[in-house]
Amino acid sequence: MRRRPGIGGLQTAANARDQYRLLGENVAKIRTDLMKEQLATFRSQLEDFARKHKNDIRKNPAFRSQFHEMCAKVGVDPLASNKGFWAELLGIGDFYYEIGVQIVEICLATRAQNGGLINLQELCSLLRQKRKGSREAVSEDDCLRAISKLKVLGSGFEVISVGKKKLVRSVPTELNKDHNEIIELAQGQGFVTVDELERRLSWTSGRAIDALETLLKEGFAMIDDGHRDGKRRYWFPCVSSISSLGGNDT
Amino acid sequence: MQTLGNFKLPPFFNYPPYFTLQPVRDTREKQVQLWKELILDFCKTQKIFLIGLEEDFPLFSNPAIERSLTHEAREAFLAALVSEGRAEWLDKGHRKCLILWHRIQDWADIIINFVKDNGLEDSVTTVEEIRTGPESRGTDLQGVDRVILMRALKLLEHKGKLVIFKGTSADDEGIKFSS
Repeated sequence: MRRRPGIGGLQTAANARDQYRLLGENVAKIRTDLMKEQLATFRSQLEDFARKHKNDIRKNPAFRSQFHEMCAKVGVDPLASNKGFWAELLGIGDFYYEIGVQIVEICLATRAQNGGLINLQELCSLLRQKRKGSREAVSEDDCLRAISKLKVLGSGFEVISVGKKKLVRSVPTELNKDHNEIIELAQGQGFVTVDELERRLSWTSGRAIDALETLLKEGFAMIDDGHRDGKRRYWFPCVSSISSLGGNDT
Repeated sequence: MQTLGNFKLPPFFNYPPYFTLQPVRDTREKQVQLWKELILDFCKTQKIFLIGLEEDFPLFSNPAIERSLTHEAREAFLAALVSEGRAEWLDKGHRKCLILWHRIQDWADIIINFVKDNGLEDSVTTVEEIRTGPESRGTDLQGVDRVILMRALKLLEHKGKLVIFKGTSADDEGIKFSS
């Protein structure tokens, strides 16, 4: 815009600015309204969808997981509040709280065996046994969701990824990088030896023994001196899942 | 599921570290607990009353995973049973162990019921008859270990429920039950 001299020029400029501002505000308002309308439509559509597929969501774990994904993408957390319309609509809040409680029970019951570190798969299969009578199937995805809700209790429930597996930790012990590497290595055969750690991870024996001792003390590992070669083996119940060793009726 | 005869073995029996005494206290407690239950359960279903620590005992080794319990571990598990009154050492060297899957007190109760069921009050029988006679057939008393039976009978004698006296043959004693 070319500047013109004099008071008239200044006034014209101010007028023009006001006009622009007004126009801008209008456009913004229209956009917000549009957005609000879209959101409302979306929300009601989502509600309709949820209502229509209520049974699928409750009964089919794969469907449920996809529904959760969809909600997450648009920033809706159906579990955020038990009082929310989602919970009322679907009753899935209760579902996850129920699983959460059962997960805590399983973790406590198996703690003496695994030191508070349990394979997600094993946890799920124990959970399914526990819920045999109930109608809804439970997937690993459901377990993860329930565990993520347990985090707010500050009780140290956490899912850690070690190698290809997911482990659920129910004790506050922090595992460092060395410990994770050991457990990852143990996934192969269920156990490791000091030799193996030296060879595969190029650690000194001091480092290997130190890390193994910690894992032993925390109850994550068990020693086995019974093999023919006379080398001590360190077994990890969290990766070998004792309950599935000899069949599935325990 | 691995079995020994008709006995179902628990999963931990196939997990090698359970055959090594665990150094960490919590882990060891759980280990000892599982072994105690297994030994009692096995002895009860197989009617075993005596375990010799130096003899072959089906639970002391698992050929499938090539593991067996050391003498130290055997002694530790049995000692845990002894401390709960569920077993007794028969010698100072801890080489022989009596397994009490019924405690002595429970065996005594079983005898009392046996007497009632068979109307033996005020009558006389022998120790051998209790173990092998037709009345005990099908009950826990059938084939019960003599040492255990005598222990339970003495407990009852002490309570005045019966009198033990020397029988005609040297190796058998007579029992007179009170009413």
